[in-house]
Amino acid sequence: MAEILKNRQLQLVVMALSFLMVFLPYFLNIPALNTASTKLITITAIVTAFTVALAVIAQFRRGMNIINRRSRGWYFKVYMLVTLVLMLLFSLMGRESGPYHWVMYSVVNPLSSVNYGILAFYMASTCARAFRARNTKAMLLLLSGFIVLLYQAPLTGAFFPGIEPVALYLGDTFGFAAGRMFLISVTVGAIVFGVRVIMGNEPSVLGLGGEE
Amino acid sequence: MADESGGIMKLMAEYDRRYVYLILFLVVTIPLLSPIGMPISVSPDTRQYYGILQQVQPGDKVFFTLNTEFSGYNEIQSGIIATMRVLVEKNARICFGVAHVEATSIPELILKAVHDELEAKDYQYGRDYVILGYVMPNEAAVAAMAQDFQGSVTQDWLGRPIAGTFLDEIDDWQDWDLIADFTTGIQTTSLLNHFALRGTPMIVNCIGVMIPSQKPYVDTGVYLAILQSMRGGAELELLIGHPGPGLTAMDAFTFGHYMLILFIIIGNVGYLGYTRNAQRRAG
Repeated sequence: MAEILKNRQLQLVVMALSFLMVFLPYFLNIPALNTASTKLITITAIVTAFTVALAVIAQFRRGMNIINRRSRGWYFKVYMLVTLVLMLLFSLMGRESGPYHWVMYSVVNPLSSVNYGILAFYMASTCARAFRARNTKAMLLLLSGFIVLLYQAPLTGAFFPGIEPVALYLGDTFGFAAGRMFLISVTVGAIVFGVRVIMGNEPSVLGLGGEE
Repeated sequence: MADESGGIMKLMAEYDRRYVYLILFLVVTIPLLSPIGMPISVSPDTRQYYGILQQVQPGDKVFFTLNTEFSGYNEIQSGIIATMRVLVEKNARICFGVAHVEATSIPELILKAVHDELEAKDYQYGRDYVILGYVMPNEAAVAAMAQDFQGSVTQDWLGRPIAGTFLDEIDDWQDWDLIADFTTGIQTTSLLNHFALRGTPMIVNCIGVMIPSQKPYVDTGVYLAILQSMRGGAELELLIGHPGPGLTAMDAFTFGHYMLILFIIIGNVGYLGYTRNAQRRAG
């Protein structure tokens, strides 16, 4: 049985059928197919939820291995596992109040905010130091960035409304051209990858890395 | 000493980054502690977003999705709270869904911020709003909600059944009157794929770095409107006449931008001066 399940052709057939079950209802209105597609998606969502439990178990095993071997930074793993267990216990004691609520609002949220806030310093420093008019192209980039930055400062628009059409023009033309190009490339890349997967040219997706 | 080191021009071109950190800290902290209340302009995008909110009808079912970690919430909280305020004033029925574990704590903060409006409108849990919690962990979950809502979501975030709430009226993507998405990018693409592209009206408030990638969807009509980062939130607060965290932050926002511009000018003047001097010495 295990050998049959490991059969590459069988796996590819299952994958192709699953793809068609989800893909075709977008174009064909067949009630039975729609129902089967919906069921398959719901089953996928539930199965995927179990991966969280799997991740916790895997993290535990990995953490315990590092702790047992006293590898570098093993005490961080102890901290991680203790907090993981504590949060699990706290969540079972209620989420509207109690220790879980306290940890979320007094520890997790402030730390998360600080983490994000610190980025502003790095971004400001990088931006201020990277914008150098080293040649004509850089000069044009600097000029555009300058106008957009000025417009983004809320006070500027209030006193110099004339800057708005210029800044919006830069964003709506050059900015969005680049944005659209990025989106289209990513989408085309994803479609190509999907086709390669269905054709069996990306065996790593099925855990068959190395085979071709 | 000045000649050896390249003089003041080199100092201006290669200033220590700690000066940037220090001055940024000051120009952000001081206006936050004592706001000046400088005037701000309102962008066309925010006016469009406000216009869409004004079209919400009493009883409309709005899926209020928090696609953000708590960190990202700080950037878009002004837009979240201002949007929520308008929706409550419009008597919309609101369902909170989140796409990150940290975001499960956000609905409580939003409800606290609009507590007076909720009281005034006699909003009741179940009849007028529901908090689903972490229901969008991945694309499959979003797709399942779009196609068979009742089959994929049966409880709210505290494990109470959603049967008997206004969500009984939701079967699939067609039953939502509006999706108001607040995002740092987690499952927004999934919402777009499985709801907006099928025809569910959707508006988005995203963080600054996402604007170039999200704006094309407004141009193509997939999103009805976009609210840009904290600045957009502040503009919305101004339009609805209810100042909040966004407008408070706009002084710091303005000073932060001007500081950055000043540092760029200093750096470039130093760079040009220093390279010119170096060329003169070499020539």
